[in-house]
Amino acid sequence: MTIVAQAILNGIMTGMLIAIPALGLTAIFAVLRYVNFAIGAYATVGAFAAWYVNTRFGLGVFPAALVAFVAGGVVGLIAEQTALARLRPSGALAVAIASIAVNLILENVIRFIFGNDLQGFDLPIARDWRFAGLRFGPQQLQTATLAIVIMAVVFLFLRFTRFGKAMRAVADNPDLGRLFGMDPARIAMITVVLGAGLAGVGGVLLGLDTAIDPMTGSRLLLSIFAAAVLGGLGSIPGAVLGAVMIGVGEELAVLVLPATYRSAVGFATILLILSLRPAGILGERNT
Amino acid sequence: MLSYLIFTLTLGGIYALLALSLNLIWGGVGMVNLGLAGFFAVGAYASALVALAGVPLPIAMLLACLIGAAAGLLATFATIRLRGDYLAIVTLGFAEVVRMVALNERWLTRGSDGVSGIPAPFRAELGVDGFNLLYLALVSVIVLGVFLTLRRLDLSPFGRVLKAIREDQELATFAGKSVTRFKMQTFALSAAIAGLAGALYGHFQTYISPDHFQPLITIYIFLAVTAGGVGRPVGALAGAYLVVFFLEATRFLGELFTVLEPGQVAAIREVLVGLALLCVLHLRPQGILPERIAPAPKPETSV
Amino acid sequence: MSSFTFSRRGFMGGVAGLAATGLVPHTVMAQDSPIKIGALTPLTGSGGPYGPVMVKAIKAVAGEVNKAGGVLGRQIEIISEDDQTNPEAGVRAARKLVDVDRVSAILGTWASSVTTAVAPICWESGTLLATVSGADAITALPHQGYIIRTQPTTILQGRKFGEFAVEQGVKKLFFFSPQTPFAESQFSNITKAVKAAGGETKSLIYDDKKPSYRSEVDEMLAYGPDVIVLGGYATDTAVLLKDIFRSGYEGKKIAFAYSVNQKLIDSVPAEIVEGIFTIAPSPAESSSAYKRLVSLIDVQNPDPYTTQVYDQVNLVIMAIAKAGAADGKSIRDAIRSVSQAEGGAVVDNAVEGLKLIAAGKPVNYQGASGPCDFTASGDISDSQFRYEQVNGGKLKLLKIA
Repeated sequence: MTIVAQAILNGIMTGMLIAIPALGLTAIFAVLRYVNFAIGAYATVGAFAAWYVNTRFGLGVFPAALVAFVAGGVVGLIAEQTALARLRPSGALAVAIASIAVNLILENVIRFIFGNDLQGFDLPIARDWRFAGLRFGPQQLQTATLAIVIMAVVFLFLRFTRFGKAMRAVADNPDLGRLFGMDPARIAMITVVLGAGLAGVGGVLLGLDTAIDPMTGSRLLLSIFAAAVLGGLGSIPGAVLGAVMIGVGEELAVLVLPATYRSAVGFATILLILSLRPAGILGERNT
Repeated sequence: MLSYLIFTLTLGGIYALLALSLNLIWGGVGMVNLGLAGFFAVGAYASALVALAGVPLPIAMLLACLIGAAAGLLATFATIRLRGDYLAIVTLGFAEVVRMVALNERWLTRGSDGVSGIPAPFRAELGVDGFNLLYLALVSVIVLGVFLTLRRLDLSPFGRVLKAIREDQELATFAGKSVTRFKMQTFALSAAIAGLAGALYGHFQTYISPDHFQPLITIYIFLAVTAGGVGRPVGALAGAYLVVFFLEATRFLGELFTVLEPGQVAAIREVLVGLALLCVLHLRPQGILPERIAPAPKPETSV
Repeated sequence: MSSFTFSRRGFMGGVAGLAATGLVPHTVMAQDSPIKIGALTPLTGSGGPYGPVMVKAIKAVAGEVNKAGGVLGRQIEIISEDDQTNPEAGVRAARKLVDVDRVSAILGTWASSVTTAVAPICWESGTLLATVSGADAITALPHQGYIIRTQPTTILQGRKFGEFAVEQGVKKLFFFSPQTPFAESQFSNITKAVKAAGGETKSLIYDDKKPSYRSEVDEMLAYGPDVIVLGGYATDTAVLLKDIFRSGYEGKKIAFAYSVNQKLIDSVPAEIVEGIFTIAPSPAESSSAYKRLVSLIDVQNPDPYTTQVYDQVNLVIMAIAKAGAADGKSIRDAIRSVSQAEGGAVVDNAVEGLKLIAAGKPVNYQGASGPCDFTASGDISDSQFRYEQVNGGKLKLLKIA
């Protein structure tokens, strides 16, 4: 029983790591209606930006995460304005494919600048705590707290700010945005900054737990997608729920399956859920 | 040099089959298959393994098509009714699962060692150069055959139904067409072509491994189809050869940037692939050889 | 859109390059044109952390030899291609090296799949292939002598890991590895050595793309080992080591030196790598090649792949001098007469070796990765290993044996 409880605990922790970039992906989808494959690269950009200020200027986790948000957001906005926005008339798939190209380009720009070597944050590491036969780490707790705070901020932002309301309105119906007196183009831009910025923060959380290299984000792209799709593309709470489910599912699977098949579990879960609920768990029913 | 050209053309032919496969499903019914590498792998493994078990090559390749089609049906069975975005992600996941099975199921696929010594037709009799020429001819004839078939299909009533589905699924349903059946048939056919490409690759190279089937090749094929013009088989064909030549030509960049580290030159090459894809999408979204009847423009925020 | 013109220019340049090389008939190549040697390494993809420094070492040796006058009166030109850690891309790169550049040897192939895919091109075209790949199956290919491998076989390597664990008093050994072509063989050879000393073993193969391995580590804890062997590469090992540290595991850890290399040690907090033992093929303590390599490329603690390509390029250059010809077949036939000549003068670099060869003396190369003596099938026949331990963020040499 302890084993299962431990696996669930581990899964929630892993889920938190995926949840933030999945939030970014789903926010962009909600408003702009395309699947952004560059989310992986935005996460890597954020991780490298945070790593740079951490190792160069000794910034701690929270300020570094803020830098990552800004770096991810700015790079995301530039990519959107130069490479993606103008393709929107050609349809969501054209934009999605262009975002694959953006992902490839950004990954290699990072490789060009920083090389392929592993880089690690200059932060202490602590042993896990043990409690009732379960173990969990102070760092995991910190990461989870940070993730929960970010999610809370995003929810509050969407629920209570004028922009947040406009954004949700646009997500439901593009024309509604105008009722809020907001230019849809501006809403799109702010959404991209928010989404790409969240991916950047996700990259940092990932980097804290691992070591970073130019493929940090791309390596997790499939898990991020699985989380967002499982919860329902475009649904903010869905992304979090999906991420936790994928995390827990993978860890539980390790108990019965060879550990090498972990990634396949995410895929199998999506197939199962999608055949029951074609728009994901919390996705919209129509279209 | 000549052998390099022959090799590049043969590979171009195999890429062309993949591009035709993608064009059929993407240009045909507007579904995106990001798992192309997976179907490529299924065909390659199927044909290689049964050929090593003693099955004659033509039958092995036919089997590769059938198993590819079956894999296509399997991958789309649960997702065919979903929106395009979901299908894109599910197919991407499918390719990853195929790679994992190839990596871990040693009893079947020989795991990470890969399958070597795959029979190559008449290789012993013809020698290396003769074989390469023969294989170029074989691949080219198959590409031509698939191309002609698809072009006929494109212009046939079946092809018109597909385009109708792509443009307006609801209208097509309204017109009494079983959209799901058409989509599944098309996807199966597309997967079969990708499987055939895989089989041809395996018997050409005599060695395949899980590492062969990483997602990058799918990006190359998307570049090929976009560059050539989505929706027209001849565009896919031209695009595929162009991409192979583009990939090879970028090698010579290193000679222009001698001050850079080798890792940086490699990064520039991949950036160029990405930039090329973006440039085509922006500057010539209809491709070099666009469809004769342009697809209907899409509203800005449509799904 | 300047980027577009840029790529187009690259394309045109490439086409021109293709044409130009094609127009030069093989026979017209003058005797004083450079000797071309290919470096085919992973510069992108999962092998990316290893390739760039390998190319650096290869180029450094060529530069050193060129400065001393080259070989056979000709300069050496290193042509570097990226295999993208992908055999499909690797084959395309190898075809270009063999068919267009007409290199006489290809050095440095890393992933076993890339090596296996490229090997037929090499033996059919008469090009020497020197590899660092670990899969046992590689030297069993029908390569007619065109493959040499500087990486010790897993039989040798696994045994050394097992024996070292026994020296550390192992009772229960746990083996962590991603799915590599040598994982299974490595584990069975470790097991053989540990069982012989009355211990027991267990293995876990993990997915190398994950951001955390907590449940895998739990499985390890449940087994309760006193020694862990890590069989992965740097990227996944870094993640795994953090989770092992957090779990509170206090036992011993043994890893490949290419995995827990200086780069990894520098990129993670010091306490998670403290005390890890690393094992790498090595020359005898008296050999100076390793020290020469360190000063040549200015990299402290170069990892085993770098030491191996250093040896590969030195051997190939000396074999060319010995044979008096720069084609792949001559290199193949001559390479063992410079790597292991009976009674030959011991040398640790090609510059010195070339002088001795010019003077008609036999040489016996002792490299930075080991004595570099090859069996008929292309494997190294025996090697000592260097055992190092991470101590205060640096690798400290324990012993060479």
